[in-house]
Amino acid sequence: MQRSFHLSHPPEQGHPSDVLPLIEDMLNEMAEAEEWPITLTMRANLILEELVLNTLTHGDTSGLTEIDLELESVDHALTIRLTDDGLAFNPLTDAPAPDVTLPLADRPIGGLGVYLVKTMGEELEYRRENDRNHLKLVVNPE
Amino acid sequence: MEFSHDRSGDTLVVNASGRVDGSNASDFLESLQGMFDPGDQRIILDLGGLEYISSAGLRVLLMAAQNLDKQNKSFSICSLTEAVGDVFRISGFDQIINVFPSVEDAKQG
Repeated sequence: MQRSFHLSHPPEQGHPSDVLPLIEDMLNEMAEAEEWPITLTMRANLILEELVLNTLTHGDTSGLTEIDLELESVDHALTIRLTDDGLAFNPLTDAPAPDVTLPLADRPIGGLGVYLVKTMGEELEYRRENDRNHLKLVVNPE
Repeated sequence: MEFSHDRSGDTLVVNASGRVDGSNASDFLESLQGMFDPGDQRIILDLGGLEYISSAGLRVLLMAAQNLDKQNKSFSICSLTEAVGDVFRISGFDQIINVFPSVEDAKQG
């Protein structure tokens, strides 16, 4: 099963997080049709929230105009392909990894979003082509 | 999100249910802080009804845990669903915040 999603930016009005219910609805529809385990729905939602909100938030200053999202679900594995025309950003190398072994008092607030994407996502591939970011990753239930 | 709380002596049990994401994480933090009383020594957050949490929600839990830790108060989380528990394991939050299977376990913990 495949779904795609196109988003123009800046939106006519509203906040970047206004896009979250659209993502949730699309994933719930796929989850129901493909009988996803609950952990796959959660991981896919979390990853898409991080990627899309990151792109939209930074896009405010980088001339972002378009995001294209393609989702393909096969045998409880979801392939995500995200393309945008914002500033070059490679989540594999451009974000520092937080130390998740630090004790409570020393844990920095933030930095977790991209870490979770990299940990929950597999087969991550990034390339910059024709002034666009192309990110591909696969999400499994465990 | 929906909240309810139940105070018994110096123990406060907060139930939070629904979804916490980038759109309502700041409301989540405000609601949580609004429920704490200076006399509360032990705070238990029951997340049995939580369907979804993203990194925005994890940040709120981390801030609350650090804040209460500085005040030498006990903070624990209980009743995680399978999906939320998966996020806790991957983020390492289960190593820095006390997590219990049920409210009863948290009260005894």
